[in-house]
Amino acid sequence: MKPLLLKGGRIVDPATSLDSLRDLRVRDGRIAEIGEHLDAAADEEIVDARGTVIAPGFIDMHVHLREPGFEEKETIATGTLAAVNGGFTAVACMPNTNPALDDPTVLSALMQTVQREARCRVYPIAAITRGREGREPCDYAELTAAGAVAFSDDGDSVEDADVLRDAALRARPLDAPIVDHCLPEETLVARDVKLCAETGKRWHIAHVSTAAALESIAAARSRGVAVTCEVTPHHLTFTGALVKEAGAAAKVNPPLRTQSDVDALRRGVRDGTIDAFASDHAPHTEQEKSGDFERAAPGFSGLEVAVGAYAAALADLPLLRFVALLSTNPARILKIRGGTLAPKEAADITIFADRPWRVDPAAFASKGKCTPFAGRRLPRRILATIVGGAVRYRAPDWEA
Amino acid sequence: MRIRRSLIDLDDLTAEELAYIFERTGQFEREPPGPLLAGKACVNMFFEESTRTFTSFHLAELQLGANVVDLVPKNLSLATKGESLEDTAITLGALGICVLVVRHSEPGFPQRMALAFDGHVINAGDGVHAHPTQALLDIYTLIEEFGELRGRTVAIVGDVLHSRVAHSTIRGLSRLGASIVLVGPEAFLPSTYAGGQVSVERDLDAVLPNADAVVLLRIQRERFVEIPISDREYIDRFRLDRRRLALLRKEAIIMHPGPYNRGVELDDSVLEFAGWRYARQVQHGVAVRMAVLDLLVNARQ
Repeated sequence: MKPLLLKGGRIVDPATSLDSLRDLRVRDGRIAEIGEHLDAAADEEIVDARGTVIAPGFIDMHVHLREPGFEEKETIATGTLAAVNGGFTAVACMPNTNPALDDPTVLSALMQTVQREARCRVYPIAAITRGREGREPCDYAELTAAGAVAFSDDGDSVEDADVLRDAALRARPLDAPIVDHCLPEETLVARDVKLCAETGKRWHIAHVSTAAALESIAAARSRGVAVTCEVTPHHLTFTGALVKEAGAAAKVNPPLRTQSDVDALRRGVRDGTIDAFASDHAPHTEQEKSGDFERAAPGFSGLEVAVGAYAAALADLPLLRFVALLSTNPARILKIRGGTLAPKEAADITIFADRPWRVDPAAFASKGKCTPFAGRRLPRRILATIVGGAVRYRAPDWEA
Repeated sequence: MRIRRSLIDLDDLTAEELAYIFERTGQFEREPPGPLLAGKACVNMFFEESTRTFTSFHLAELQLGANVVDLVPKNLSLATKGESLEDTAITLGALGICVLVVRHSEPGFPQRMALAFDGHVINAGDGVHAHPTQALLDIYTLIEEFGELRGRTVAIVGDVLHSRVAHSTIRGLSRLGASIVLVGPEAFLPSTYAGGQVSVERDLDAVLPNADAVVLLRIQRERFVEIPISDREYIDRFRLDRRRLALLRKEAIIMHPGPYNRGVELDDSVLEFAGWRYARQVQHGVAVRMAVLDLLVNARQ
């Protein structure tokens, strides 16, 4: 792995409040130093990063890698290739696999595949209940020891409040938060913030999509409740009107909402109520995304459009905030490494620029080609993705 | 990539060019220059508010006989119609614009302009990155006072982290051989600055007796997510007031890039102090900017 010297980029690191033009040296897989006019050592590759933004590696805390069990939709190999192409150096993958990630042996097997095949870091999110059936709790301590960074029955809500309360209390001594998929959203978010306050467990609401849900989160936080939340690019962009146009291809959970919800979500990002950007990358086969709406599978391929789509939805968001939502905050919520460019940290780096491009799903590395952003012009694109000092993606037309 | 000469930060200038700017500044202050930019078009593109820098660039361009266009964000397709920075640069180049003066809240924005624009770009302040013409006029103020700066000590007090002026001034002063002492709360003084002729101190009272000049900085509240120090503590430890003025040498001077906040980084006694040079700094602004325009457009490359 060749040491790198990135020259003259705009370095944006929310963790250290740095937003300025600097050089950055990467050596032995770590950030070696950041400074002005660093001299290149003989063995270093020099990258002309002028005109680009250099950020701590982006972390998508909500993706479905589909493995084990649904390899026709996505695999560790294709999903993590999509991740690095989209600027992500790490993803957290959801447990709605077959078998579900509810058991340390399943988790260990998954992590072995990850070690062999993943292009980026993969942090598994384990199930809250056995088989994701909403009844029996899992062994959270064992799952954490096997690598789980959060607990979720994503794809389904835990409907029984007593089961969820019991799970939260059992998991409370552990760092890993509860990540809940709330549908019907408004009722369950209101219930969840109460459970969060009651149990004192760290809690994260997945893919918030309505103004009312956002309001209950904001109200709870103003009372000091430790609840965080995330938003997808599609909920910041589209309304239910898209279903009339695109039919089954526009099916997603939670569903696309109204314009006033979209506006509220954008406000929520600007005012800090929303903590993280997370794509809810949910790849399906072409067949599953066409035909009858009722029978179609919900979800979009998100990893390769997310960064551009967020920039399009929130053109005026300061870059320090943009990067915090994609990197620093997800790292803090999941208590994983990353989210900063501080010296000695692993060199997980995302390089991007405000250069427009057009979305062409046929070019996706992901097996899932269905995205409502197909054909759209997005204002921000990824130029390179560096994981642990290794360049895992470089835009073919980026001369540096 | 070939770029026409631009001024993004002080590092873009050689030692000879720095000397040229300071020499021309002196000349232009003694005697108004002729129409050195006659027939040339200058565009001032300010995305952030500005009083001193905007006015003095405008005056400098007029005094050199240039045609001047002021663009404000509400009139820019870049801001309102989604025209990209690169396309804007091409448009302005096609219009035959010679000099683009750019201020923007994004670090690196003027540099990106310079990479795309076939003309000269002058950075009039980009976020927390750099503000080279303000640094030049600060340094000129010091040169006017002390002549040679080698061996002189300049204390820079306050929010160095978010000060684009301090950043550029530190770079310029180190090159001219001055010693620089940064003083302020830890959160305001990134460790990356220390080294070479730059040292970091916590106790302002210990620094003042050895300083030839003190540069005060404003706390850039708009750039903080959360201000890491209370006003009371800041005032206690770092405000220049009557008691601290007494610690200074008689011939020491005090500078501020403005705008200053009375009662926070300084109190009214500083404004009456014999060595308070704020007005001189502002006055030098026009001549320094004329010298920079002259260097970029006219000087032999």
